[in-house]
Amino acid sequence: MTTRAESRAARSTAAPRGASWVETIAAHLVFGVVVLFFLVPFLWLFTSAFDADAVAYIRVPAKPTLDNFVRIFTEHDFGRALVNSVFVAGSTMVLDVVAVSLAGYSLSRLDLRFKSWIMYAVLLLQTMPLSATMVPIYGLARALGLRNSYVGLILIHAAIELPFLIWLMKNFFDNVPRYLEEAAWLDGRSKLRALVEVVLPVARNGIGVVAGLSFLAAWAEVLMMIILIDSQDLKTVPLAFYETLRTQGGYTEVQYGLVAAMGVLYAVPVMAIFLATRRMMVRGLVASSRGL
Amino acid sequence: MPAAALLALFFVGPALWALYSSLTNLALVGIDAANPRFVGIDNYTRLLADPDFWTVIRNSVVFVVGSAVIGQFGLGLALALLIDHAEHRRWWLGTLAYGAVLLAWVNPTLIAGFLWVAMYDFFFGSLNHVFLSSLGASPVDWLGSFPMPAVIVANIWRGTAFTMIIFLGALKTIPPDIYEAARIDGANAWRRFWDHTLPSLRPIAALALLSITMSTFGTFIVIQTLTNGGPGINTEVIALYAFHTAFKSFSIGYGSAIAVVMLALNFAFAILYLRWSRARA
Repeated sequence: MTTRAESRAARSTAAPRGASWVETIAAHLVFGVVVLFFLVPFLWLFTSAFDADAVAYIRVPAKPTLDNFVRIFTEHDFGRALVNSVFVAGSTMVLDVVAVSLAGYSLSRLDLRFKSWIMYAVLLLQTMPLSATMVPIYGLARALGLRNSYVGLILIHAAIELPFLIWLMKNFFDNVPRYLEEAAWLDGRSKLRALVEVVLPVARNGIGVVAGLSFLAAWAEVLMMIILIDSQDLKTVPLAFYETLRTQGGYTEVQYGLVAAMGVLYAVPVMAIFLATRRMMVRGLVASSRGL
Repeated sequence: MPAAALLALFFVGPALWALYSSLTNLALVGIDAANPRFVGIDNYTRLLADPDFWTVIRNSVVFVVGSAVIGQFGLGLALALLIDHAEHRRWWLGTLAYGAVLLAWVNPTLIAGFLWVAMYDFFFGSLNHVFLSSLGASPVDWLGSFPMPAVIVANIWRGTAFTMIIFLGALKTIPPDIYEAARIDGANAWRRFWDHTLPSLRPIAALALLSITMSTFGTFIVIQTLTNGGPGINTEVIALYAFHTAFKSFSIGYGSAIAVVMLALNFAFAILYLRWSRARA
């Protein structure tokens, strides 16, 4: 058993000499191009959001201002969209955490018949692209009266991420030693109480990842919003963004400043949460693709 | 149990509903909306005879090969190797590149589409107005003349991080003694890479490739915001075709048939994925 630090040290001694200057320059050139390619589009988003008369190309704001952010709230009712989005994503998160804890725990502990089949079926669902189920989900939601309703939005968003999150959470539960809950049962706790009071606190990293990912996914998702919502009252952040971008095209000029301001408020929370917890998130992602 | 109920309602339900309605002439408006008739496999025979459908399939294959196989997979692997190398050399620019790639990926897809709309804009987009004009070149109508490469580049920008992360993780699990032994045997850097690094990555590479193939096959938002399938149907991929048939031409039945074809193809990929991942375990 070597620790990570040791193995890294061993590998850096395995790298023969210091880098030649040709190698150093070539590698830095490549990295420079990569950084430019991936960051330049964002540069535009942030400069135009603070530019009083924003344009489609990147430039230092001619008149730096916060006016765009004020106008999306006063003229485009963006506050309503924000509240709707936070509510839908928050409820989705709560529902997912409950459902995933129960499902992940039972798949990790119970001796079900056909358990491996159930796990593979869950994995199979995970690979279904949303755009393939979009038409049938629309038909189903219409038949069940789930269009233009918070309940419909929350249920569907909770379901979308479930297969992936169940896999993730099962792996976290697999790492919790069994004697913990067995001790709790001996103390006279019921199975559910043992799960909530003993197992979940130990698996709290997993719960954190599940909560974070389900919130972010429901916040960022747009396909289901487009087919399920056409009422102004239920408009969410991506719909407001989409609408401002689409309705202003054509004969009227696109108000890039407003669209970019909405884009900033839409994208920044996602990036902030993800980057703040990236080690956990990336590890969760890699674990889920490897725990097969 | 709650999880099972939700899964049944929103995954199994839609699949069954799609199968059923693909056998009817259900429409969103008009007389068929109220009284859908059972039409058997008419929708499927119509699909096979539909020249647009075959164009759409070809577009999807081009898009998946360009964007997932060459782009996200190739670039992701190259970046993972470079960034792993940069970690040993302690080059901070490698870390910055890693963060930049990751940022494009966690960013909502709709924003990714919108950012590239602005980049490609003919009159004032950054590519023409800033980049090409500073080189003294004349503007290029990116989305009009090169629609497919344009959407492929945008999707590579958005999705490369996934394969990069997977390969970076896999590279860290290769035991260093292998390299040490190879070096003592006198293998040069290129041989060590070819004989040891690549073979250890092969199993995870197969899974990563299948996984991004499936997700790229379902790409919708990026293409819809950039070209909406146009010009003509030059970038119309299968997901957009199902959407347009169901919601612009209002033929839910026919749209469902397309969705069923998508699900079936995806199912085939997924079975392959399961077999390979079981072989690994």
